[in-house]
Amino acid sequence: MRRILSSVRDGRGFDIVLVGVPFAFLFALAGLPLIYNILMSFQEVDMFSLGSVIRPFVGVDNYVALFRQPETWPILTNTLIFVVGSIAGQFVIGFGLALFFWTNFPGASWLRGLFLVSWVMPGLVVGAIWNWILSGDFGVLNFFLRESGLITANIFWRSDPSFSLWAVVIANIWLGTSFNMILLSVGLSAIPGDLYEAADMDGANAWQRFWTITLPMMRSTIGAIIALGLIFTLQQFDLFAAITDGGPNNSSNVAQYWAWDLSFRQYDFGRGATISVIMTVFVMFAAAVYVRSTRHEVRG
Amino acid sequence: MTQQIELSGVNKYYGAYHALRDINLAIPKGAFVALVGPSGCGKSTLLRSLAGLETISSGDLVIAGERMNDMPPRKRDLAMVFQSYALYPHMTVEQNLTYSLRIKGVKKAEAKKAAEEVAAITGLSDLLHRYPRELSGGQRQRVAMSRAIIRHPKAFLFDEPLSNLDAALRVHMRKEIRALHDRLGATSVYVTHDQVEAMTMADHVVIMRAGVIEQQGRPLDLYDRPANRFVAGFIGSPAMNFIPARVAEDGRSVLLDLPGSQVLAIDFSLPPGHAVLVGIRPEHLKIASAGQSGFDVSIAAVESTGATTFVTTATTPEITFLLNERSSLEAGEKVRLTFEGKNIHVFDAESEQRLGT
Repeated sequence: MRRILSSVRDGRGFDIVLVGVPFAFLFALAGLPLIYNILMSFQEVDMFSLGSVIRPFVGVDNYVALFRQPETWPILTNTLIFVVGSIAGQFVIGFGLALFFWTNFPGASWLRGLFLVSWVMPGLVVGAIWNWILSGDFGVLNFFLRESGLITANIFWRSDPSFSLWAVVIANIWLGTSFNMILLSVGLSAIPGDLYEAADMDGANAWQRFWTITLPMMRSTIGAIIALGLIFTLQQFDLFAAITDGGPNNSSNVAQYWAWDLSFRQYDFGRGATISVIMTVFVMFAAAVYVRSTRHEVRG
Repeated sequence: MTQQIELSGVNKYYGAYHALRDINLAIPKGAFVALVGPSGCGKSTLLRSLAGLETISSGDLVIAGERMNDMPPRKRDLAMVFQSYALYPHMTVEQNLTYSLRIKGVKKAEAKKAAEEVAAITGLSDLLHRYPRELSGGQRQRVAMSRAIIRHPKAFLFDEPLSNLDAALRVHMRKEIRALHDRLGATSVYVTHDQVEAMTMADHVVIMRAGVIEQQGRPLDLYDRPANRFVAGFIGSPAMNFIPARVAEDGRSVLLDLPGSQVLAIDFSLPPGHAVLVGIRPEHLKIASAGQSGFDVSIAAVESTGATTFVTTATTPEITFLLNERSSLEAGEKVRLTFEGKNIHVFDAESEQRLGT
C-alpha cells in the first residue's frame, strides 16, 4: 500500500496533477471569461444572441465603431487623468505619511495601523461618505475652502462637469493612500539602518541621504506600488457608481465604468467587451511591471 | 604629542541605564587604540559616541582641538568601518568608494582617480565595477576599509571589523590593517571583544567593563601588571589562574587555599589574616625538579595541540598550566608545580584590586 502511495507521490504524473488542479481552476474561472470577452469583442452581440457562443463575426468593426464614437476619446482621457491623478496623489501622500511614521515617535505603529481603516472600507461606503463631504450646499469640503478664503462660491463637486472627475479622484486618493503608505513603510523598514549611519559619516545630510540611499533602495517597492496602483485604479468602479455615476454628460466617465454602462445599461455587449479588452492590455502591462519589480530586489 | 581625540568625564545614559561612566581617554595623533571588553561593556557605545551616532549625556569630546559634543556625524570628519560593513548595496565598489567624495562635490574624474589609487593599495583594482553582493566577505571588508581610507579622515573608527571573517583571514587582515595604519600615519580607534586582536594590533589598549574603563596602557604593561582581577583574567589566553589565599602571620607570605596548606612568599607586606587572590599565568607555572619548592597537585586532564600541552589539575579551583614540550603526564598523576616569585599577582579578595607592586 505504501509502495503504491509513494509511487503515486513520486511519479511525474502526480506533479502534473498538483500543477494541473490550480491551473484548471484558474483557467475555468479567469481564463475562460477572459477569452470569452475577447471573442465577444470581435462579434456582433445583442440581447437575442446573448445565449449563444457562435455569433456573427465582425472582425475589428467593434473597435472601429468604438473609436468613431465622439465620447470615446474624452472618456479615455478621463481614464488617464483618473489613473495618473489617483496614483500620484496616493503615492505622494502615502510616501509622505510613510516617512512621517518612520520617525518612530511614540504610538507611531499604532497610528499607522489605524490608517488602514480607510483601505478596508468598501468603495460604496467610501463613496457615500464622500458624497456628504463633497456635497455642494452643505458639504464639509466647501465649508473649509470657503472659510479659508480659497473659494467665494460653493463648488458643486458632483454636478459641475469641470470638477466631477476630480471629486472621484479625491475620494480614490483617500481610499488608496493608506495602502501605499503601508507598502512603502515596509520598504523603508527593510533598508538597513547602518547604511544611513555610514552615509551620515560619509558626510551626507538628511536630504542627500534620502536621494542617494532611500530612493534607490526603494526602487523595487516603488515600481511594485505604482504597478499595483495602476491595477487598482483601473479596477475602481464603486466610487463612480456611488459619487457621480459617470456624469454629468460623461465628464467623469472612465473606461471601466463605461464598459459596464455599455454592456449592462445600453446592452451593447460587443463594445463593452471591446473596451474591456483594451483595458486588459494595459493591466497586463502593469502586471508585467509588477512581477519584474518584485523580482528585482536589490540586496547586498 | 598632540591629542587627536580627547574624552574627559564622558557619561552616557539610556534612560536610567548608565552605559558609559566617567570616561577619560586621550588618543594621540597616529596612535592605534583598541577598546576591548566583553559584550555589553560599552566599547561600541563609546566608539559610536566618538562617531556622533550616539550623543553623550555629559563630559567633553574634543577631536583635533575642536569640541564635538553636539556635532552631527557628517561634520566630524571621522571614517568608520562597520561590523556589517554597511556597503551601499545599490552601488558598485567604485561608487561605494567615491560616495563621500561625490557628496562633497569632488569632480567625477578626480573621484575616479582617487578610487583607483585606493583600490590599488587595498587590492580591489579588478573589482571596481562589481556590486557588493558579488563579493566575498573578505573583499567586502576591503571595500569598507577603502571607503574609509579614501577620505583621509581625522581618525578611523573600527567596530569589530574582522568578526565576520573566518579565523585564517582574520589573522591576515589583522596585520594588514595595522600595516595600513602605519603607512597612512592614521589615528585609529579599534573596537573588539578579542583580546588577542587588541594585544597584537594596538599601541594602547583600553579595557572596559560595565561602562567603566578598568585599565588602559601598553599591551604588555596590561599583561605584566593588571590593575585588577578582571583585567588579569581578560588579558592572556588561556586565562590566569586565581587561587584564594590568606596572608600569614608574618605578613610576608600567603597560605594557598589548596590541599596541604602550602605557603608562598611574597615580596611586600600585607596585614596578617587578609583574604587575597593569588594570580598566576598558566605559562609561568613549571613542573618542579627534584628538591625544588612549590605546591603539589594532581592532574585531571592533559590536552595537547602538538606545540603546546595544556594541563588542568584536579584541585578546586582548577589550575591550568602549559608545557612547551611533549609530555608523558597522565590524568591522576601527582606533580609539584613551581614558579618565580616575580610572576605572581596578588589581588584583594574583596575589592579584586591589585595589591603590592
